[in-house]
Amino acid sequence: MSEALSWVKVGTSTDGDIATAFQEALAQLDLPGLPKLLVVLAAPRYDLGAVAKGLAQSLPGCPVIGCSSSGEIGPTGALTHALVLWALGGSGVRVSTGLGETNGQGLRQAASQAAQCLNQVERRDHTVLMLLSDGLGGDQMEVVRGAYDVAHAEVPLVGGCAGDYLAMKQTQQLHGERVMTGAVVAAAISSDRPLGVGVSHGWTPVSEPMQVTGSKDTLLSSLDDRPALDVYLEFFQPAPEVQQDAKAFADFAATHPIGIRRRDKIEMRHITGFDAASRSLITVAEVPQGALAFLTEGDFQSVLGAAADSCQAAIEALGGSEPVGLLLFDCVSRRSVFSEARVQEETDLITSCTGGVPMGGFYTYGEIARTKGAGGFHNQTLVTLAIG
Amino acid sequence: MEPSWSLPLLSEILSAFSTEDPENLRNVLNRVAESVDAEVAAIICDGRIDWCIGLSAAEQGLLVQTAADEPPELAIRAGRLNTFWASMGSNDRLMVGRLGLAYDLEERSLLRAMARSIQLSLRLLAAISSERQARLDASYQASHDPLTDLPNRTLVLEKLAGWIDNPPQDGDQYTAVLFIDIDRFKWVNDAHGHAAGDEVLVHVSVILKRSVGPNDLVGRLSGDEFIVLTRTPSAQACTDLALRILTAIQTPIQVAGTELSHSASVGICIAEPHDTASSVIENADMAMYEAKALGRGGFALFEPRMRQKAQERLSLEEELRHAVGSGQIEAHLQPIVRLSDGKLMGFEALARWRHPEQGLLSPAIFIAAAEESGLIEQIDLIVLEAACQAVGRWQRLPGLGHLRVSSNLSGRTLGSADLVAHIDPILAASGIKVAQVFLEITETSLVEDIPSTASTIERMRQLGVQLAIDDFGTGYSSLLYLKRFPVGLLKIDRSFVANLGSNPDDEAIARAILSLAKALGVEVVAEGVETTTQQEWLTDLHCAYGQGYLYGRPKPMAAIEADLIKPLGPGTPLLDGQRPAAETIQP
Repeated sequence: MSEALSWVKVGTSTDGDIATAFQEALAQLDLPGLPKLLVVLAAPRYDLGAVAKGLAQSLPGCPVIGCSSSGEIGPTGALTHALVLWALGGSGVRVSTGLGETNGQGLRQAASQAAQCLNQVERRDHTVLMLLSDGLGGDQMEVVRGAYDVAHAEVPLVGGCAGDYLAMKQTQQLHGERVMTGAVVAAAISSDRPLGVGVSHGWTPVSEPMQVTGSKDTLLSSLDDRPALDVYLEFFQPAPEVQQDAKAFADFAATHPIGIRRRDKIEMRHITGFDAASRSLITVAEVPQGALAFLTEGDFQSVLGAAADSCQAAIEALGGSEPVGLLLFDCVSRRSVFSEARVQEETDLITSCTGGVPMGGFYTYGEIARTKGAGGFHNQTLVTLAIG
Repeated sequence: MEPSWSLPLLSEILSAFSTEDPENLRNVLNRVAESVDAEVAAIICDGRIDWCIGLSAAEQGLLVQTAADEPPELAIRAGRLNTFWASMGSNDRLMVGRLGLAYDLEERSLLRAMARSIQLSLRLLAAISSERQARLDASYQASHDPLTDLPNRTLVLEKLAGWIDNPPQDGDQYTAVLFIDIDRFKWVNDAHGHAAGDEVLVHVSVILKRSVGPNDLVGRLSGDEFIVLTRTPSAQACTDLALRILTAIQTPIQVAGTELSHSASVGICIAEPHDTASSVIENADMAMYEAKALGRGGFALFEPRMRQKAQERLSLEEELRHAVGSGQIEAHLQPIVRLSDGKLMGFEALARWRHPEQGLLSPAIFIAAAEESGLIEQIDLIVLEAACQAVGRWQRLPGLGHLRVSSNLSGRTLGSADLVAHIDPILAASGIKVAQVFLEITETSLVEDIPSTASTIERMRQLGVQLAIDDFGTGYSSLLYLKRFPVGLLKIDRSFVANLGSNPDDEAIARAILSLAKALGVEVVAEGVETTTQQEWLTDLHCAYGQGYLYGRPKPMAAIEADLIKPLGPGTPLLDGQRPAAETIQP
């Protein structure tokens, strides 16, 4: 029997032993052939290098990219401290991978370098560029801009920022057997069958609009000429420990992001911490100076509803083709809104929307989805890549 | 109420220009496109694309072809772009393209305002950056040598002070200074012109840059003085570097159509923690001076005794300058006789320094300082003038019209452009028979054959004076020079004369010089004749004239007149004053 034009297989494990976890996830893949791409999404407790080495031995010649995560998604739904192997294959699928490091150059150049794999992949009818970057490595808008310099208007961008379970210390990226920090890894996926991207967040503004009067890169220093941290704390009046403890602040901020007014939407910016000395907020991507900003709050129902919107939009983008698999880039802050007790409700909803096609994914520090316009960096958002 | 969405986006664009961060500028087109969800934004100027996002190279080509018409739509691979064109001044245009949806009124207003903002901001930035560039240029020029582009003295001192104040953390490295001076650089300038000199300087600067390590600093202090600042683990590593530099500099180069060989001398000083930048450079300079004194083309490491030596040299120079200005330099005369019959034929004039405290000093003590400081030119002329005046007067006495005088000219004096202008009035005022004046120069001065020397000699020939080659046989003899210049006299060096009767080699040389002189029709004076044996040998070899202690030591003019001129019969003394008592010359 000839191989399908495209297929997706997902294997997962939550076993604490790396060797066992790897073997378990690999066995679950039940591969019909050698994958064209294998994406590794691993909780920080797993050694990415060891996984890569195992893959090089078990699936020699298979292109591999991956990153550390802040929560994982498998076929059964949301997972914690798990290893996910997401495999893409098929006779109609072509893949080329790339990487760019920020050593001595900006994030934009690193992303452009990684995106050069687009110039190597054999082009079929439908192409996307998938990017995995270091969410703690600088203004992530630059990753989108750098990739767009290569992809142009023609190729959609999709992806997410590596995480570390809100420790906010270090994330990792994987290319082949190489494990890096501060890097951008990419896979150019080209297929005979359609590829769909969906994006939605469901967050709502709760404050009056304010002007961003001081901001540079990922440091938001003032709103309406007042220190941004003071404005933020005065408005939300969080518990006293939030104002003192970095971890407590990160947890709180995960469900209270900043929204920026764009032409016909509000774009979210995840707050990762604060700088007490300058009374500034630290964000994962630039909040442009001069912009109109809101303080926002996650509402369980609207955030949940957005998950269904994102998946449906991705599947609709397939133009009637049936999806063979999904890759989800879900913001870590959404997981915080749902809380661990109800996080499964989001993935259950996705499963019910998609009819149980193989899915995998991870909780990110920022999401990339560019299908129209030149921008495409998001926060507090669910980005879905549907493989037709 | 929430304001219009486009206002904050315009404010974002203006903010993007509020810093001079180049990344912000680079992002400005992304911001424009992102503000209206457009895929493409480009700045087009005079038929070419200055900046573009969202289009492949082929699609940019298409845009250039159609840009003149400002088409409202553009077909690209991703679909049909709705375009909006906004003017950015007389030549530049901003084009923003969006797939699918046309722009509404608010979007068009926003884009027009953004285009105008970008234009104004770019102009402002150009003005700011050109002003900043001018400031940078001025600061660069103030700290760099324009010829070699190397850091100048100011910057070298500044860097060295920084190096001394911030020693390396590991403690195994020392800051060292190499002071490099090109040997006989003035000669290159004189011989081949300043353009050639500049070429040599640039060449040396390149060699130095190639020879040093990536963290070392090469600078030019002034003229032919270069500096290398280096961090070194040992004095040995430093002398290795000096040797590398010396070897590289010695490689001949083509300058002004000729192959030039040159050498340099290097002084090395390793900085101590309490040193200042200028004291370290001074020390390296003294060490360089020592290297030169040891015979050019080498290096020397600074030792504290050199400072004492340098101070002595400086104070000697100062005293000598005072001596020249206050008449302490005198001409003493040593007789030259005809060997066949012992007849007095003339004198060689020699410089002496009548030091107020140390008594009479011989040239061995002060000539090096005189050469170094340039005072030698004045000393040569003082001696020549005094000798011409005396001998000129004696020539007018009955029976003494045949007297000649020889006076020394150093190479440096010979190279002086206005030498003839100084000599001419001296000769005229003394009334001396010009044809009986010999100017003694060394072979080396001639061999250097520099254009200015050649022209000086030619002009002296026109005056009627003759050249005498001093210390003949010890330098770089060349028959060509003897033929080319108006040489009337050769002086056989005393080193050959000393061994006549005991060293057959020296006898052979003396014989060869005499037969050469005979062939060329040039007269010969043997120097340093001290014994009758030497006199007999020279007579046998048909050497015409001799000079040496056998016939008389150099003496003050009054003594010469009393001892040698008066006995020959003149009635009235020509020189005033008493005959001085016998004197001892300081060695």
